[in-house]
Amino acid sequence: MSATDVVGILVTTFILGSIYGLVAIGMTLIYGALRILDMSQGSMVMIGSFVGWGILVVAGWNPIVAIGLAFVATFLLGTFTQLVSVQPLMKRRHEIDFEMITFITTFAVAIVFTNLALEILGPQQRNVTFVIAGGINVYNGVNLPYQSLAMALVSIVLMAGLGVFLARTRWGMAIRAVAQDLDAARLMGVPVGKLYPLTMGLASALAGIAGVFLGGLYFASPQAGDQPLLIALIVVIFGGLGSLPGTVYAAYAIGFIQATAEVLVGTTWALPILYAVILLVLIVRPQGLMGKPSEARL
Amino acid sequence: MTARRLFPLMTPARWAGIAAGVVLVAAFPLVYRDQYVLTVIVTGLVLLVLNISWNFVLGVAGVWNFGQLAIYALGGYGAGILMLHTLLPPWLAVLGGGVIAALISVLLAFPTLRLYGIYTSLLTFAFAEIVQYVILNDGSGLTGGSYGFPTVPGLYSSLSPDASMRAYYWTVLGVVVVSTAGLAAVGHSHLGIAVRAVRDAPAYTAARGVNPLRYRVIAFAISGFLAGIAGALYISFNQSISPSAMGLTPMSIDVTMLVIGGLGTVFGPLIGTALLTIVQTALVDHPGIELTILGTFLLIVVVFVPGGLVGLITRTRNRVAAWAAEGEGTREKTAGAAEAPAPVPRGDPR
Repeated sequence: MSATDVVGILVTTFILGSIYGLVAIGMTLIYGALRILDMSQGSMVMIGSFVGWGILVVAGWNPIVAIGLAFVATFLLGTFTQLVSVQPLMKRRHEIDFEMITFITTFAVAIVFTNLALEILGPQQRNVTFVIAGGINVYNGVNLPYQSLAMALVSIVLMAGLGVFLARTRWGMAIRAVAQDLDAARLMGVPVGKLYPLTMGLASALAGIAGVFLGGLYFASPQAGDQPLLIALIVVIFGGLGSLPGTVYAAYAIGFIQATAEVLVGTTWALPILYAVILLVLIVRPQGLMGKPSEARL
Repeated sequence: MTARRLFPLMTPARWAGIAAGVVLVAAFPLVYRDQYVLTVIVTGLVLLVLNISWNFVLGVAGVWNFGQLAIYALGGYGAGILMLHTLLPPWLAVLGGGVIAALISVLLAFPTLRLYGIYTSLLTFAFAEIVQYVILNDGSGLTGGSYGFPTVPGLYSSLSPDASMRAYYWTVLGVVVVSTAGLAAVGHSHLGIAVRAVRDAPAYTAARGVNPLRYRVIAFAISGFLAGIAGALYISFNQSISPSAMGLTPMSIDVTMLVIGGLGTVFGPLIGTALLTIVQTALVDHPGIELTILGTFLLIVVVFVPGGLVGLITRTRNRVAAWAAEGEGTREKTAGAAEAPAPVPRGDPR
């Protein structure tokens, strides 16, 4: 492997890791606060990619408008998803099969969104072209396009913003309080009924923005959310469910493994290798890199 | 063990009803010969065998195994390879497919033991994805890669198309009847009780001297064997199998069938598979709408009808019986209650 390959791998790791982190951090947030694995996050990525296509290609507007609109649209849809697929089941949250039931209901919502998109927009793959042209020549022909750099930077800013939101704002602290002890949070006057939809809307909005970016890197299609969902699942398991720092580290680790596999053995084998890695992780260390078996979450 | 002990809920009237139903279904291809309809039914029956096997591990044993479709496909590919590359008679190749699937399923059971809930589903799902990718990208020509398996003669290559269709119909129906009855009997045997006890209270069951490892491996073996048989029947009937038999879309359809029918019940897979096969066939030209409706169904059933349709039927029957009994001055519970389904599979609590 030449030095060019190594630089290329690091550049790809930086871009993919940042965007994967954005999708996965939402799943971690939801798992931490609601104790569910939200399978509808993939469809939020898909919807985000279509919003990006609609704004950038069909309407020909600014990428910032696309990101803003994707945020609003997927925030509302995420809230809606919580209200139809999780909220009615919240009274069963202490039952042993709660995780499984919500896994199935959020999956059902994902099926509906994906197939509505298929019926309305058709199965074609659509290119989402960004307007930022050019790039930096990092090293000996390894190109870092400005648009990828911008995507990675916006993703990092959003992840950091989420961290600040959770640490400093009232709503953020409320989310952490609910993750730590639901009953204590209730007694302190945290409006849990409003908090759950807000959390899922926020996480979905992050996935939606990641969708705009992933649409730019690949394309927009009804199935565009499947692979990001699977990778986000790998990332959250690798990082340990419910651990935000673990998720970020794991996102870059997974991005690195994927980039390396693409260079060494080709694109088609990247995903199977990721799955093999996660199989090993689950066998050797079932709680992931930074997962805590106890209740100390977020 | 006597029949009464293995089937405590079966009265002579119920035996007669079920026998009449099976005879009616078996006689159907003698009077109705439309090849398209028969193909749909046989495909549905093969899917039903797969769903019965999945119901056992997911509903009865309570292990969140999402790798079942890979086991099913491996059974199919295994049987296909045995048919093409060995001199075994086709029916032995079908059995061989079941055995191969059972062995792989047992291997999959071991790593799931240390995990619970969501983690189990992700491990098994990761396994399924790897199987799919390996077959998709297989360049050796053994599996045919993304083009699908090379054409196999199948079980009844010497018969005319009409006769072989009927032969497949009866074969698969026979497998459905035998596996439904067999697993229903297992449900009331020591084995079934142990498997369900490990699902509901793993720590307590282990403390009472039941080995969880042993029963999970047995559950995976039974379920894997049946799934492999289903895959082998699929490749025989279709004369081929492709990696598209696995993946998210078929998996979501099968999960929907199981949950709508009633997970962990004897007749849940039957009701769910029949209902959704009808819906799918009716909407075959609109795959988007079909799956939208399916997803909506799934959501409504999970939220409002816990236990699926079988649970709903059982509850309604109990309520009617209780209402009738009230008129007689007694409020005894009726025997039907014993068939109440386990709600949804459970993970081991920690």
